[in-house]
Amino acid sequence: MPLFSHSDYLAILLSLKVAVVATLVSLPFGFAVAYLMTFRRFPGKVGLDVIVNLPLTLPPVVVGYLLLLLLGQQGPIGKWLLQPLGIKLIFTWKAAVIGTAVVGFPLMVRSIRTGMETIDRRLVEASRTLGARWFDTVMTVIVPLSVRGIIAGSILMFARGLGEFGATIIVAGNIPGVTQTIPLAIYDYVSSPGGDVMAMALCLVSISISVVVLVFHEWLSRRMVRAD
Amino acid sequence: MRKIVGSLFLVLAAVMLCVVPVHAGDLSISAAASLREAVTELGSAFSAKSPDVRIQNNFAASGALAKQIETGAPADVFFSANVKWMDFLVEKGLIDKRYTTVVAYNVLVFVGKPDLKAKTMQDLVKLERIAVGSPKSVPAGDYAVQAIKKAGIEKQLEGKLVMGKDVRECLMYADRGEVTGAFVYKTDAEQMAKNVKILFIVPQGLYPKVTYPLGVTAAGAKKPEAVAYFKFAQSAEGKKILAKHGFIVE
Repeated sequence: MPLFSHSDYLAILLSLKVAVVATLVSLPFGFAVAYLMTFRRFPGKVGLDVIVNLPLTLPPVVVGYLLLLLLGQQGPIGKWLLQPLGIKLIFTWKAAVIGTAVVGFPLMVRSIRTGMETIDRRLVEASRTLGARWFDTVMTVIVPLSVRGIIAGSILMFARGLGEFGATIIVAGNIPGVTQTIPLAIYDYVSSPGGDVMAMALCLVSISISVVVLVFHEWLSRRMVRAD
Repeated sequence: MRKIVGSLFLVLAAVMLCVVPVHAGDLSISAAASLREAVTELGSAFSAKSPDVRIQNNFAASGALAKQIETGAPADVFFSANVKWMDFLVEKGLIDKRYTTVVAYNVLVFVGKPDLKAKTMQDLVKLERIAVGSPKSVPAGDYAVQAIKKAGIEKQLEGKLVMGKDVRECLMYADRGEVTGAFVYKTDAEQMAKNVKILFIVPQGLYPKVTYPLGVTAAGAKKPEAVAYFKFAQSAEGKKILAKHGFIVE
């Protein structure tokens, strides 16, 4: 295996960092949305469902471009909210996190929802009639019973985040050592003559990480089935 | 229902057959991104003279194009924005040596907002984000990184360089204000920039002269149209078009 350059190592670390942070940041929101979609009835539910799932079907480039228009120097959020606060997102690793979070969010919500839908409604109702407050019911009934979905959703989103390219290259740019993740580094090598060996080496790293994540997912779900 | 499915299949088959009409007079031109407008006009002028030739232009970073040609992409004529990628293909035997020439030259500049105080390479150290083409495939980026190294500010700019996929993307980043400034060609800045202007011309001593070689590929050399295009690009009319778009021709 060829020796990776310093920026290649940083790309590998950054990919992991972006995927982890995007997953952790999304988790509470993903849980909240899945909860609303499963247990609550409210006007505009279909609308929320469509908006949450939209990134699943949209090309990530579209997501990236819309985020750039929204958060960029001339965008409404960028100009009126981020600039006065002195926050710069575009072309930082935080932008990569946002792009990855938006693209992976539907996968997480779907998994958590699937987990929540298997919960016996009577357990939720029983806890309420026994005097549990709303928050207690969520923490002591819903979270433990949907934990498998939460973990599956997190792993799925993490895995998706490792490979995020389309949205990332637009909002986070391609700055070696700062926002260049594994897919972006591969893209850089692929488009340069003579870069095949390095591209292939980074592909192997990417495949290895994905295999580890998927095997871990499989192992975890089997363990949980046994625990039931 | 069966009838509908059957006819749908027929339609599908017909569509698929139509997608790639192999035309005898098709000419595939692969050209550096900075040549977009000039080569598009060159193509229309050439088509006006030989109406049965259909021209397909493909614009990207020169390195990316060289890579495409290396892996067998259809291309008859190749315009590169540096000598490196042309030589790369000549060495591999993918460009016919008989049909290679230099058609134009260009100059590297630094663009930014008009009120930005950056007049020399040393001033760039203070800036936050600078767009350059990815030096692995974009000649403008390769020239820029060489200039940065020679100016001795490589270390200070580490982590500040946003790598664009071609020179036009760098200009777009600067124009939209997402980066403080960008290294682009004089032609890009003069013809395309709206919100940014040229802050300084990168001293020629810091990087090799921006040279645009033109070559006919090994596959293209078999086509008389490709050779005719090659000659047309060097003709007085061809030079006039390149000069009109700001390129330096000799």
